Amino acid sequence: MLDIKSLHATVGEGTDAKEILRGIDLSVGAGEVHAIMGPNGSGKSTLAGVLAGRPGYTVTSGKVLYEGRDLLALAADERARQGIFLAFQYPVEIPGVNNMYFLRSALNAVRKSRGENELDAGQFLKAVREKLKLLDIGEDLLQRAVNVGFSGGEKKRNEIFQMAMLEPRLAILDETDSGLDIDALRVVATGVNRLRDPKRSIVLITHYQRLLEYIEPDRVHVLGGGKILQSGDKSLALELEKRGYAHLGSAA
Amino acid sequence: MSVAVKPETAPYLEAFRTQEGNAAEPDWLLDRRAAALKQFAALGFPTRRDEPWRFTNLALLSRATFPPALASKPEKHRLALEPYLVSQAAHRIVLVNGYVVSALSPIGRLPKGVWLGSTTRAIAERKDLALAGYDERDTTAAQPFASLNGALFSDGFVLALAPGAVLDAPVEIIHVGHAGAQSVHPRSAVIAGPGSKATLIETFYGSGGAWTNSVLRIELGAKASLDHVRIQDELPDAIHFGVTRARLERGARYDGFTLTTGARLSRQDVQVTIEGEGAHCGVNGAYLLRGEQEATTATVIDHAAPGATTREVFKGVIEDRAHGVFLGRIAVRPGADKTDAHQLNRNLLLSPRAAVDTKPELEILADDVKCSHGATVGDLDEAALFYLRSRGIDEAAARRMLIEAFATDAIETAVSVGELRAHLCRRLGIWLEQSGSA
Repeated sequence: MLDIKSLHATVGEGTDAKEILRGIDLSVGAGEVHAIMGPNGSGKSTLAGVLAGRPGYTVTSGKVLYEGRDLLALAADERARQGIFLAFQYPVEIPGVNNMYFLRSALNAVRKSRGENELDAGQFLKAVREKLKLLDIGEDLLQRAVNVGFSGGEKKRNEIFQMAMLEPRLAILDETDSGLDIDALRVVATGVNRLRDPKRSIVLITHYQRLLEYIEPDRVHVLGGGKILQSGDKSLALELEKRGYAHLGSAA
Repeated sequence: MSVAVKPETAPYLEAFRTQEGNAAEPDWLLDRRAAALKQFAALGFPTRRDEPWRFTNLALLSRATFPPALASKPEKHRLALEPYLVSQAAHRIVLVNGYVVSALSPIGRLPKGVWLGSTTRAIAERKDLALAGYDERDTTAAQPFASLNGALFSDGFVLALAPGAVLDAPVEIIHVGHAGAQSVHPRSAVIAGPGSKATLIETFYGSGGAWTNSVLRIELGAKASLDHVRIQDELPDAIHFGVTRARLERGARYDGFTLTTGARLSRQDVQVTIEGEGAHCGVNGAYLLRGEQEATTATVIDHAAPGATTREVFKGVIEDRAHGVFLGRIAVRPGADKTDAHQLNRNLLLSPRAAVDTKPELEILADDVKCSHGATVGDLDEAALFYLRSRGIDEAAARRMLIEAFATDAIETAVSVGELRAHLCRRLGIWLEQSGSA
């Protein structure tokens, strides 16, 4: 599904360019859930940004293959239409753009590229109502502008709701647990678990082990200094919880 | 005393002399025309040394002569009115080249106390209305083109509401320019008695090449209320100047919105004088420019009475090599205490060669006032653009969505009449369809 080979990337331009990713190797199989953990500044969000095509990063060497194709050659919107989804750590507020209108445009863009027919307003609403139940989101949230006036928890739920609507094959969840209280975390995690599917890979980026109590990963990777320092099964997360990231410091 | 005559005014003075001969007009009107012409001749064309015209390039106007257009009655199907019609129920007047065409003007049944008709009919039948619509500023103000209009005006409309008269259906005025390289000078008035209420939509469009030079006077009596939309969608080789002069008495409400999408060179002046306590003035709009268009919006809100409010938001979307200018002035005179006035000008520049000059200005000479002003110039929000694209929306559609949101916001906060709001959003959609940067 996803193969990252010796990926190096910088942020910033010219002499200000700073290398953040220093040789990432990672392979995620179809239907697998991988957790990427690491301290602040380890490169977690940069990795998510590079995979989704966020502007501001430059890949200096390495490769990313998605379903065997060169992912880095695709524009951000093309990646999304090919089945990649990034749940933002900080979902963007867009005043004046209605949430429903936005989501219908996105869904129809994705459907069109899959060769499926576009949904009219009625069909779209029906699809929306099915998915809303999944995440305990009120319909009123959809009548508002995208993320405007949403609480932190509502924004994160809205991200997972979009994921449910767009049905990606590779979802990257960037610190979806940050800023959530325990009840909101449970709702979001339940939503994600329901979206687990043998054809859908999920990369969970998180600082804390807490999220992994609710969403059980197949693999856990520890990122530090722009590299994968250690990989293992879910027990690695528990070990990190006990010992912290500090003991990895020398390796980073 | 000999009065200086500026040479560039000569062709228009000549046009006035030849027009005079065939006008069987009353003396009071001829006197006013002559006085206005004298003012125009003395003022001449503005130059960039005149502060209010500093950012405007008038070469297009001064390079050529635009003789006053004559009445023309093209067949209806050639006018393509349909895209500009707002309401089935509207009381409508269509002017071609500044002359009312009765056959195209279904005014319909008017409620008691409402008078609506052409300016020439008002002059012939209702001198009181014609005089009330006249403006002493034709001979005193430094607005040469408004003075020229006072001298050369062809026709226009007059809407008069008796005290307490309420007009539920909107009044739609459609100005069609069909004149080639000629000038069109409509002069109109809205005279709203105390407690009356109306909705007015003015649309300007045409077959191009002409210079439209329009003047509208609005008089709102105590607690009178007017919603006013002005759409300027002339072709990209036209010149368009429009002056709206409004006077508000105690507790009157004026809510205006202007949408500028047309003309190669355009300027609109909105001047509101608040003379009565507790009046409300909404002066809002959007200018959407592309190609080589240059458009100026110049507003002056004069708070001469206490306790009044002004809400002013203008938004600009500028692409290609177009140039937008916003000159906004709010003056609070001595004694106009407790004035509450806010002005904001926001601009989106969508290409490296697009330009905007913005000059918000506050002059406060009263106490205990709440006033603010501000201006922003920027590009589309990169974070928002990426967010939309990360969901599969292609770049062009994402840009279009953000531009639409930016401009729609101006319409939705300022225009309360649903029919007008929908029409403005439709016009915005048509503009976006043709956009090169979205």
